[in-house]
Amino acid sequence: MKNSFDEKILEEASDWINANQKVVLATVIQTWGSSPRPIGSRMIINDKGDFSGSVSGGCVESAVIRESIELLKKNQLFKKIEFKVSNESAWEIGLACGGEIAVFLEKINQ
Amino acid sequence: MKLSLLKEIIELKSQKKEFAIITDISKGNSEIYIKNKELSSAFKNNLAEISNHFNEKKNGVIENTNIFIETYILPIKVIIVGAVHIAQYLVEFAKSLNFEISIIDPRGYFASEQRFPDIKIINKWPDQAFKEIETNSSSALIALTHDPKIDDPALQYALKKKFYYIGALGSKKTHENRCKRLKEAGFTETEIQLIHAPIGIKLGGKSAPEIALSIIAQLLSETYKK
Repeated sequence: MKNSFDEKILEEASDWINANQKVVLATVIQTWGSSPRPIGSRMIINDKGDFSGSVSGGCVESAVIRESIELLKKNQLFKKIEFKVSNESAWEIGLACGGEIAVFLEKINQ
Repeated sequence: MKLSLLKEIIELKSQKKEFAIITDISKGNSEIYIKNKELSSAFKNNLAEISNHFNEKKNGVIENTNIFIETYILPIKVIIVGAVHIAQYLVEFAKSLNFEISIIDPRGYFASEQRFPDIKIINKWPDQAFKEIETNSSSALIALTHDPKIDDPALQYALKKKFYYIGALGSKKTHENRCKRLKEAGFTETEIQLIHAPIGIKLGGKSAPEIALSIIAQLLSETYKK
């Protein structure tokens, strides 16, 4: 079930920050059609590209990591990205399941 | 998100308080919503929609706004009667789901902390034990002792309190006898039929972890029907 109090991704984000890492929090904020993970699903990414958690079933994570690193590089605070199905390269950045999702990226700042 | 907010969220989670995180996805600012607490000027105008979403336990972007809300709702209370082998697996499965387990068993040798680390164990008879747990129609009961002395009072309590899920371990024969006793105790046919027995969905397995899985699957399915 969503938002279990036992889900520890935010605690993990806090640990990463305590270890002096730059962290981006990625959250699924909208879904259309069939999507692999529900709204509220989370993933954290650091400036080296390490990550934990998930926002899809492995379909868009690589793109989320790329976008997150870029966000940190450009020193931006937040960004919304949408993923739609793309038949040609569904295995690369789209959702093979045919759904669409919007992911909100935000830097955790001091 | 500000680090101070992240810390506040973690603190609320550890205190097991219900709350929501609200974020303006066009501006990037977020704050915490708690029932009956005032919001900052950034969100004040949308208080009605925010509290509606919170009450309905909904996550998502609120229609016609740029506000994303994520609600944190307390785990569902699941009371297991019988600190038996199956219960050990139930505790394991429940960890990754939004269930908070308490175990009742008057038999001290079963209900030891060593067998159930980090779980609330009440080493009393059900009648006494239920005084120590706050329950309502959003609670669930899993009766595993198949000993009428222990299971029956718990089942009666759960029926009276209208728990949304009540399951009892035991064969068809055991359950027939159980139904007779409940009838004699004054429960109606309709009430007795609310008990899932023999407990669990049919998966075919007979080992303790397999039965635990079939029980947790049934519990989850009933939870989504609520």
